[in-house]
Order: sequence, then structure tokens, then C-alpha cells
Amino acid sequence: MTNFHIPEAELMSSGHLACQGCGGANAMRFALKALGEKTVMVMPACCWAVINGPFPHTAVTVPVFQTAFETAGSAASGIRAGLDMRGDTETTVLAWAGDGGTFDIGLQALSGAAERNENIIYACYDNEAYMNTGIQRSSATPVGAWTTTTPHPHPKSHPKKRILEIMAAHGVPYIATATIAYPDDMIAKFRKAKEMVGTKFIHVFAPCPTGWKSPPEMTIELSRLAVQSRLFPLLEVFDGRRYVVQKDIPHKPVSAYLEKQGRFRKLTEEQIAGIQKDVDSYWESLLEREGPGGPSS
Amino acid sequence: MSKEKRIIRDHKEMPRSSISSEDMRWNRTGSWRNVKPFYDPKTSPCIAGCPAGEDIQSYIQLAKEERYEEAVRLIWESNPFPAICGRVCYHPCMDACMRTQHDEPVFIPAIERYLGDYAIEHRLMPDAPAQKHPHRVAVIGGGPAGLSCAYYLARAGFGVTVFEAKDKLGGVLRYGIPEYRLPKHVLDAELRRLESLGVEVRAKTVVGRDVLIESLGDYAAYFVGIGLQKSRPLGIENENAGGVMPGLAFLEAINTNRKVEVGRRAVVVGGGNTAMDVARSALRMGAEVTVVYRRTRNEMPAIEDEVEEAMREGVDFRFLATPVAILAENGRVQSVRCQEMELGEPDDSGRRRPVPKDGAFFTLETDAMLVAAGELPDTRAFESIARVQNGLIVTDEFGRTSHAKVFAGGDIVTGASTVVNAVARGRGAAELIAAQLLDRKFDPRVHKKVVAIADVNTAYFLHQRRADMARAQQSAEAFAEVNLGLTCTQVQDEMNRCFSCGVCDGCDNCFVFCPDVAISREDGVYTIDYDYCKGCLICVQECPRGVMSIESEAS
Amino acid sequence: MKKVLEGNHAISWGVQASDVKVIAAYPITPQTQIVELLSEMCASGALPARYIKVESEHSAMAAVIGAAAAGARSFTATSSHGLLLMHEMLHWAVGARMPVVMANVNRAVGPPWNIWTDQNDSLSQRDTGWLQIYCESNQEVFDTTLHAYRIAEEVVLPVMLVLDAFFLSHTSEVVDVFRVEEGREYLPPFKPVDFLDPTRPKAFGNLTAPDLYYELRYKIDQDMRRALDVARQADEDFYRLYGRRYGLVEEYRTEDADTVLVTSGTVTSTARVVIDARRERGERIGLLKMRMLRPFPEEDVRRVLGRAQKIAVIDRNIGFSVGGIWAQEIKAALWPLRRHIPLFNFIAGIGGRDVTPGVIEEIVDIAGAVDQPERDVYWIGVKDDELSYTRS
Repeated sequence: MTNFHIPEAELMSSGHLACQGCGGANAMRFALKALGEKTVMVMPACCWAVINGPFPHTAVTVPVFQTAFETAGSAASGIRAGLDMRGDTETTVLAWAGDGGTFDIGLQALSGAAERNENIIYACYDNEAYMNTGIQRSSATPVGAWTTTTPHPHPKSHPKKRILEIMAAHGVPYIATATIAYPDDMIAKFRKAKEMVGTKFIHVFAPCPTGWKSPPEMTIELSRLAVQSRLFPLLEVFDGRRYVVQKDIPHKPVSAYLEKQGRFRKLTEEQIAGIQKDVDSYWESLLEREGPGGPSS
Repeated sequence: MSKEKRIIRDHKEMPRSSISSEDMRWNRTGSWRNVKPFYDPKTSPCIAGCPAGEDIQSYIQLAKEERYEEAVRLIWESNPFPAICGRVCYHPCMDACMRTQHDEPVFIPAIERYLGDYAIEHRLMPDAPAQKHPHRVAVIGGGPAGLSCAYYLARAGFGVTVFEAKDKLGGVLRYGIPEYRLPKHVLDAELRRLESLGVEVRAKTVVGRDVLIESLGDYAAYFVGIGLQKSRPLGIENENAGGVMPGLAFLEAINTNRKVEVGRRAVVVGGGNTAMDVARSALRMGAEVTVVYRRTRNEMPAIEDEVEEAMREGVDFRFLATPVAILAENGRVQSVRCQEMELGEPDDSGRRRPVPKDGAFFTLETDAMLVAAGELPDTRAFESIARVQNGLIVTDEFGRTSHAKVFAGGDIVTGASTVVNAVARGRGAAELIAAQLLDRKFDPRVHKKVVAIADVNTAYFLHQRRADMARAQQSAEAFAEVNLGLTCTQVQDEMNRCFSCGVCDGCDNCFVFCPDVAISREDGVYTIDYDYCKGCLICVQECPRGVMSIESEAS
Repeated sequence: MKKVLEGNHAISWGVQASDVKVIAAYPITPQTQIVELLSEMCASGALPARYIKVESEHSAMAAVIGAAAAGARSFTATSSHGLLLMHEMLHWAVGARMPVVMANVNRAVGPPWNIWTDQNDSLSQRDTGWLQIYCESNQEVFDTTLHAYRIAEEVVLPVMLVLDAFFLSHTSEVVDVFRVEEGREYLPPFKPVDFLDPTRPKAFGNLTAPDLYYELRYKIDQDMRRALDVARQADEDFYRLYGRRYGLVEEYRTEDADTVLVTSGTVTSTARVVIDARRERGERIGLLKMRMLRPFPEEDVRRVLGRAQKIAVIDRNIGFSVGGIWAQEIKAALWPLRRHIPLFNFIAGIGGRDVTPGVIEEIVDIAGAVDQPERDVYWIGVKDDELSYTRS
């Protein structure tokens, strides 16, 4: 009796160059299972640009277009236009970018695509730093985290950029959060996005043992704890306004999540309490946005 | 798509730009590993905890699929009496159940009972033995140890004669445990299986009195399972006054429908299962019952469930007390004088020794005093043929005595113990006897490594309370069965709570979460492709039931 | 059909005639009219193309590269800072081997802001691997748009067509244009060999180690060199169909010239006037118009300039500390001749400063006054009272 019911087709093969226990590898596998063969993937500079293997090899069996770091949103827009003008309006265009290429350098192109409501799925697999270049901080790095550019005694002091609200402000048809510990949920969301027209943004939380200094075997556990501690709530936003928050998930304290990662090793009790407080108040604000009606999707 | 790296020697072989169409499977990332996961099925703690070694995990999996008959037959390979044990066992299986770490243990005895009752309802019978052998074995004692030994020998194709002192088979199952715990019709139904296997019974025959063991003739082997026969006396004055009875005799009287009276008040001395059976029976006969025990509840040897039920039914308990004198009038007990005790240093059993408290006495007025403070063996009939020590027959762990043809098991070997232990020893001895008679190697059952708490990932299990078993109404007939079993729906729900520790149930977690697509599955079997496994060990971590283990790559 | 069109609109007409499918562009003076007319054409259906109104030029180039990768003929236009912002993506278009076409309106680079013409923006992109064609007239601009797609799709490299800000972009001339149906014989629909196709999935642009990257660059170089012949053929074919041709360079009255001026862009038209005037006075002077920058037509340059006694290159651009960029290219092209021809490098017109016939006359005079250039570079008209050669 299986815990999950993921589609059978494998569109990602073994032999790829991801680190042991890479959350991004699972993320890719599930995303491709969800979307299937009729997909064109656009990939800016990110871990997957290397994980996919060197020319003349590739680890995935969908077409991939590697593009410059800032340009996932714009290249995807062009590819969409090109396919449409060739008469193919069915193939899904998937932009697959890391947090650096989404929150920072790629934010302009993403914003432009979202504002134009380009008919693409933009998936950001977020490992919370520039991991491909060796663990430097990005605006997706959470408060208190060690990175090579936020070393002790000055770990990241600014809070994680709220990409959810930024995308919601664009009023795009669909925004979702997902993570690899919940494959059925993640696959359902990608499939839902595939059926919609316009810009669909999916924020995938993907732990990185190498950058987080966590044991590789804990990658799924960490993504689960991120959800359970409400640090990364699972939710959907429709048209930038209607929030549907998944609530029937066992609740754990953030300390359960933080204590398993070396990048948070030096957090004090006070700092952890501060993080808990922020997580709690953000959760409350999400519930307020959802409103009394609750989920009705 | 090739399994070798593409080597390009001339630019004219290349596409115009870096356009890739070969796959990455030439890159055998297995070389990155320094630790290696592998499938290592383990023994579930319930199986390790069961003295009979029942394959609980497997029979639950079968029953979950409604393959009830197969489940029953699987139990019978370790224990012929699921309907009995499911009712009376002290369930170390449930105490070992891993699910306790998550919420509550699986209600294993209730499941076993359900399956035992299913077998009875559907009149399931064991298969005839594959081969019959000419040997005949004498089993002396028709209690759980002897019955178990007889069953397995008969199943193995041997002739068996059971010598039973009393009228009927059962031993403590019939003459000790009362009806409200183990109805006689259930016992008789379980025993019919021995009948079906052609076991010969010589009832009302006491070996050592009616028949001497030397004269039992040419049996190929002998199994002694006579249990403990008599209650230990307290050794205080007036112990033979009217109204003072040994606990075992009291139970035998009740279980054979002979008249016995307890009056309005009864004192029960002792803290074991016999004492609980006695107390609850006396209660059902209308008495107010007080149990007097020299240590505290923590040290009571009785099954915890029995103590709880006794308390729930209204039996009163005086802990840290022991009778020192019986006051009789006209040859009948009037009251019992008791001394208070306190706990001192531990004795041989490891429990703290009770020490009398100076000057602290109290008296209980009573109509009856039932002594259930231990049972004694009677090995006189066997002392000439096998070594006896401290009153008990000496055997190795499999039941061999000092005599080559004589085996023993149950309470006569271990001292006061439980039904399932007796059943286990009976089976163990039968397997040993069979091997010896057929001149084959004896292969005792060995458990694999037992699943540890750390092996299990409870994130995959919802919280769900253990099923509540229905109990008989207060108004029901006094000795009617108290626990009414679980319904079919309850049993199914309860079985779904089983983690299946240590044994793969095809949940697919390893397959789903491998970042390197290095685990494949076919026909429910998972295989790791070590060419690509990077040793991240996510599969091991996410296995809900601890089926996987790790070894160093160097090994 | 003949129309009076400003240079920018000539490009729009060229794009329409070229059956372009995807346009992505960002407005910048003085390019805006190109995309405004294209927007109207798309809106009216005259041009059935998708126009992505991107949020920057960098995104514009990324989008047209994407569209080309998907197999659609694509176009963008920009100028100056927009081109500079695209710089990374110019390299990308080449490495990805995408045959996109871009019109760049030559505009000076800031700071400070300057909207008038010079060539530094496009010339500083000369090492990206883009082909570059410099236009002198609005007719040439329209025609070169079609040439550009022909060449681009044949050698599978992107092509930039370049026109001067305001002098061409905003100046109206008579242009003989045609529509897509008439252009089809010259320019059939785009048939890419490699494109994003889910039925034949491939990865474009995966990391490449030194063992193979080297060869990929080698291939670009080879195809760029091959482009010279392809461009000549494209020019010839266009001539056969429409009666107009331009060559990779154009010689004007050079047959017996002692001194040859070298110009590009609209300075060429002004120079023609001066050449004619001087010829009237009996001077043996001619003009070499540079049309192609990349690939550089070395053989044509050697053939024409090899006969000259003096060369005067007029650069409306500056390679700081080394002189005009065209001058450098020409010196390099002449090197194999092993004949030292005095070459005067004149800087003029930077930032849109007017290059009048008078300026060119001054240039001719300075070159005529001495046998050898007295300096590496002459900044004509520079406000520096220590310099004696300058008077305008």
C-alpha cells in the first residue's frame, strides 16, 4: 500500500551531478513527472545548469534551453511566443530557476513576464543561497543562517524576501508553494498550473545538505519539518487575492527544524524564539488573508 | 541513449552549438559513496517479544488483505491456540509494540483472538501431516505445554498419546482460568484440532500413581509437562480451618461446577494470576473481596490487565501486608490478622524483599480465606529418570533433560510462568524430538536483528487510538465472558495501525524519494542500482518501518 | 511600391517583408519609431507576429533568442545603452547559434546622456560574434533587413544592421518597399535544423569543458568566415530579384585614386559630395565605403586600398588611446600586404557633432599637406587651442 501515487514515467535519469541528498534533484523529478513529455524547460544559471551534465549529455528527457542568469522569465516569454507562432500552444513552457535567479538577479525578468501574464509556469526551487557558486547569501537566505558571505559573527541579518507577496502583487492567476516531502501535493499543483493560462508561479522548497550543513539523509525530513513548523506553509493564491492555506498538518516548533542544520548552529535561544515569533505571526497573517471562509478550491 | 560517455574526435561530429542528446548514465555515480544502504528485513519487536515466536507482522499483513485463513495457519505454525492466547496471554507482543512510541500499541491480542475465533467459526482444521512416521511419543500432562508438544508432534506425523491426570485435557486452561476469561466452549473448540490429528488421550491417568513411567513401554520419547499442582500453604495456624482454601483447589471446584462457598466477605492472599482469578471469581459469587499482598502493586507478578480488571470490578487491595494468624471459631475462619510490611533490599527474584513493620497489625473479618501465594511442583514420579533441582525438572533451553529420551517443558521446568511460555516450550521440544527421532539436524528458530526505535520513521503514520474492546454488561450472567472481542471493522482498523516494523510492505517511499532514481521496483520488490547510488541514505531515513540498513562501503 | 519613409520605418517595413514571427523590444530614443510602427502593424494584422513588450533590452534579447530557439523568426531593435545592456545576451545569441536579426540605431554612449549619433555602441560589440552591416540610406536599410535574415539563417549566426541616429533613423527618403509575398522568393520561411522540440528532446547550452568548448568557438569562427561568401551571394540574389545591390564594400571613384577616403554610415553620403568636388578640381581621390564590419572583408579592403598612395580613414567613433576602430581594422587587414601605405586616422562626428562637407574638405586638406601622418590620430574640430591642425 503506497504512501504516494506519483506518475510512472521517469523523465530524469541517474548519473546526474547533484550532490548526495540534493533536494533539487527530487524537485526536478517530481516536476517532470507532473508535466510530462510535452514540456520545454528554460534554465538559467543555477545548480541544475550543472547537474544536468556536460555537453553532449543531458540528464532529462525534455528539451532544455539554458539561458543567462537573469533571463529565465524573458527567455521563457520568447520561447512561449515562438512555440505559439509555430502553432504549438499545447507544449508547456517551464522556467526552472534557483532562488538567486528568481529573488535577486532574475526578479526583473520574472516581474516583466508576470506583469504581461505570459503563459508559462515559473518554478523556483529554493535552497536559500547561491549554492552553485559555493554557498553565498541571496535574498532568499533566512535570518540567522551562515553562508560564506554571511559568516559568523555576522550571519544573515535581513529577513527572507517575501517572494509570495511580490508575485501576488502582480495578480498572476496562480501561485503555489510546494516541497519534496509532499510529492502528491507538489505534482497536483504543477498539474493544476499546466491546465491554467497565464503566469503560474510555484515556489518549491528544496533543502541543500551541502549548503545547509545538514546530513544528506535528512533532506526529506527537513522539507517536511519546514512545512510542519509553518516556516514554509503549503498554500495557493489565486489571482493574487484568494488564499487557500493548508492547515491539517501536524504542528512542530521551529527549533525541531533549525536544530538539524549546521548553518543555524550558532543561533541563541533568544534568536530561535524570535524566529518562532515571526513564523507564528506570519502564519496568523496568512490565515487572516484566507479569511473566515477557509479553503474552497 | 547510451551507457558510455560520448567521445568526440572531430568538430564535424558535433552539432553546431552545445546541443546535447546523449544521456548521463555513463556517469556511474555509485563511485561517490562511502556508505551503502541495503534492504535488511528485520524482526518486528512484537515477534521478538512473543515467547512462541509468532510471526505477528506477517499474520497481520495477511489478515489486512482479508486472507484470514492463511493468517490463522501462519499462527498455528507457532501456536496452536490463538483463540485461547488472544484471551488470556499477558501479551508481551503488545508491550514491545513500536507503535507505543507514536501513540498507543497495536491491540495484538485482540487481533489474535479475532483470528482464533474465525478459525473456530469456520471450523478450520490443520492439514494432515505430509508423512507419517512409525514412532509414538508419550506426552505426560494435558496442559498448555503438553498439548502444544502433542500438536506439533502429531502435525509432524508422529503418533502421540497424552496422559492426563484429570477428566479432561486443558490443565490450567480448564481447571485454573475461569469461564469469564476463557469460556470452556472456546477451549474445547481449540482442542478439537488435536483430535483431528489423531492424538490419543488417556485421561484420569496419573503417571507415577496409575502408571509408572518405567512401565510406559516403548515410546520413542517422553515429554513431561505436568505443571504445578498444588498451592503453597502459608504455614500459619488454622490454615485448615473451614472457609480456608488453597486457591488452585477453589478454582478447580468452580471450573468443574462443584459447590463451594465464599460467604459475604473473602480475603485472597497473593499477587499472581491465580490470586486474581480467585479474587474475581469470589467477587462473582457475591463476596466482597480483599486481596492481601506482601509487596506493592509494582511487584505483583500478575498480568497488569488482570489487576486492572480486578480493581475495576471492585476488588479491594491491601498492599504491603501479609497474614500472620487465622482466627477461627467453631472450626471456621472468622478473621485474619495481618502485619504491615515495608520494602527492604531486593531478594533473589530481584524484587525488594518485604520486611515486617514492627507493631503494625490490622485484622480483616472474613467468611473465607483463599490462599494463592504460589504453586508447588510434584516431581516424585520423575526423579528417578531425570535430574531435578529445587523441585523443578532440569532441562536445557530446548527441553532436553538428563535422560536421552525424556524432554520437559512448561511450569514444571520454569516454575510459575504463563500459557504462552508453556506453549512455546512444548513446540520447541516437539521440534527437537522430531529431529532426534528422524536423525535430522535440529535447527532452532533464530530471529534476525530486531528493529530499533531509531529505525522507524513515524512521520508516515497518522495518530489513531487503539480500538476499545466491548465489555459485557453488568447485568449479564456472573461468569459470562467479560471481554467481547473486536468487531470486524474494528479489527481491520486496528490492523491498519500496525507499522509492519522491519518488513517491507511496498509503501514506495525509497523508490519515490531517491534523488538519483537509483531504486527501481518490480512486482513489489525494490532493487538498488549500486552503479548510481550515491549513498545519501534518504531511503534509509524515510523507510517508515526500518527495513533498510547501512554498511560501510569498504566492507 | 515607393514610399517616403524615415529610416526607422524602413526597418519596420523590412521586418514585415521578412515574415518575422516574434518581436521583443524595449523603447529607447532614437529607435522608438521602429517598434511603434511594428506595433501598429501587429495590431492591424498587417504583420501577424507576437510582440512581447519586454521590460528591458537585456530581456528583449533573451526573448528573441528564446523565440528563435523555439523555431520562430525573431527581431529586436535598440540603440546605445540598450545595446550595451544587451551585451551579455549578444554573446549568448552567438554561442547559442541563434539567427536573430537586430537593428541598432547608432547613438552615443553616456554618461553624459547624448542622443545623437556615433558608432561606439555597435563597434564595441565587434568581438561578440555578431555579423554587422552598416547602412548608408533608408533604401539600404530596408533591403539589408532581408539580407540579414538570409545570411543569418544560412550561417546560423545573429546579424546586426546598423543605421545612424537621426541622420537616417529620423530622416525621410524615398524607399521602394514590398510586402511579404514578394519577399518570399528571396527569403523563404525559417527552417531551423535544431530547435526546441518535445518529440526530439535535447538540451541546449549545457556546461562544456575545454575539451569541446574550443571546437564550438572554432566552428563559429569558420561560419563567420564563410559568411563573407554567403553575404556576397545574398547581395547578388537580391540584385537579381529586385535590381539593387550594395556589396560588402563599395568603391567610389577609386580606380586611379592616389588618396582613398574610408567611411561608413551617413558620412559616406557626405563624402561622395566632397569626392565629386575634388575630382572636379582634378584631384585623384576616391572613396571606400565600409558596409560590413563583421565578418571583415579583408580581401576587398586589400584589393582597393592596396592600390592607394594615401589612405584617410574617417572614424565616427574612438577606441580610447588607440584611435578610430575602423582604422585599426583596416590597418590589420593591410598588414599582409607588407607595403606601408600612409594611413591617416581622422576622428570626427562623435556624439553627433555634424560632419559637413567642410569637415571632410579639411580632412582631405590635412592628408594632402604631408606625406606621412604627423600623428596617430587627428581629432577634427576638437576644442583644444594647443592643436594646430584643427580649425572647424
